[in-house]
Amino acid sequence: MCSACGFPTKPGHWTDAGADAAGDKLQLKFRRAKILNKILSGYGLAVHDDGLTPGLQLRSFTGRTVIVPDLEAVWSEAEAQTGTALDPLDARFLRAAA
Amino acid sequence: MAGRETRTDNRLRLTILGGYLGSGKTTWLRHQLFHRRYGRAHILVNEAAETPVDDTLLQQHADGLTLLAGGCACCVGRDELLRSLRRLCDHRSQQASHTPRLERIILETSGLADPGSIAEAIQADPMLVHHILLDDIIVLADAANIIHQLGTEQLGRAQIEAADRIILTKADLQSHSMLSTVYATLSQLNPGASVSAAIKGEEIDPAFDPNAPPVPLPALGELSGLPAIEPTRLKIDNSVDWAAFSVWLSALLHARGHDIVRVKGVFDTPAGLLLLQGVRNSVQAPEILPPSSTQRANEIVFIGRNFAKEDLGKSLRYFSLSDG
Repeated sequence: MCSACGFPTKPGHWTDAGADAAGDKLQLKFRRAKILNKILSGYGLAVHDDGLTPGLQLRSFTGRTVIVPDLEAVWSEAEAQTGTALDPLDARFLRAAA
Repeated sequence: MAGRETRTDNRLRLTILGGYLGSGKTTWLRHQLFHRRYGRAHILVNEAAETPVDDTLLQQHADGLTLLAGGCACCVGRDELLRSLRRLCDHRSQQASHTPRLERIILETSGLADPGSIAEAIQADPMLVHHILLDDIIVLADAANIIHQLGTEQLGRAQIEAADRIILTKADLQSHSMLSTVYATLSQLNPGASVSAAIKGEEIDPAFDPNAPPVPLPALGELSGLPAIEPTRLKIDNSVDWAAFSVWLSALLHARGHDIVRVKGVFDTPAGLLLLQGVRNSVQAPEILPPSSTQRANEIVFIGRNFAKEDLGKSLRYFSLSDG
């Protein structure tokens, strides 16, 4: 946003903007990893976030590990490894939520 | 007497600011208002969705602002638009001639509006036609997405065709050759309009290459089979935190970026109220809103096609409970 007329803009990936204080950031990273693992486990994938290293480690069932910078990259890499985009509107998630 | 009142130079000027969903209308207008480029202007903001966001961004720099929420001004919200315009004309007519009077109305249309239909509606109104002079239709086009929109949306094409001035926004995100291609395509579609470029509301000199070839566009008839784009409002309850929401939304946009053409709303996070604005699969770095915007927090509008409205909520619930 323009420095003259805009509100402050958070730097970094948009998904990281919800936490500012150090404690909040750590909590966000851990909780995000927990949610991702629940979602990704059905696809044979897992993430690890130690809270210190930037980005996330994405591990496939073969043991191959890739470090990705943000959530957008998680989904791109998951698609590359599984051959299909993980769609939250897929019947498997909707059925489970019902 | 009536003749004197309706002299052309005495009429209230109207600028229509149009452009597709996420083309940067509010950003552009906020910049112009901040620099007082429109003098004493009253802003009418129309949003197709029932959850308005843009007025929060504009009100601090406008002389007056009216929000037309809950219906697109070129179709279902047309009567409300005409009523608002009549009210503004009435108010202006009652002011003494020596007091500073309203000079201009700027109508920021919803991203789903056809500015041409709005212009026709005003021309067809027996009162407004004597009081309002439509002197400019400005249509903003997102330099990164406009070619895709022109190829897939009849509406995108109607908007460009209605323009007097086309402004390519987010010009810094495109290469010079791509900008020139976009320029050539738009000029072919609407040869009468001027085409310029801007970055966050600030005009730049794009130095378009006049020899760049336009992109061939499909015939309009080929676009008619697509389902219509509709707005869906998703209210998010307190059990969904930012971690769950951001994981869910990032996955959704990765998988469905071509169907969800716009995401807009405010989410309350530990870092503050974040204004989320997404176009297809790209989301801007969120702005932090002043705390006064609280009343609209945690309502997100999705505008798109090929998904059932209730599925969004169901799917998000699954993601938010996923730590159980």
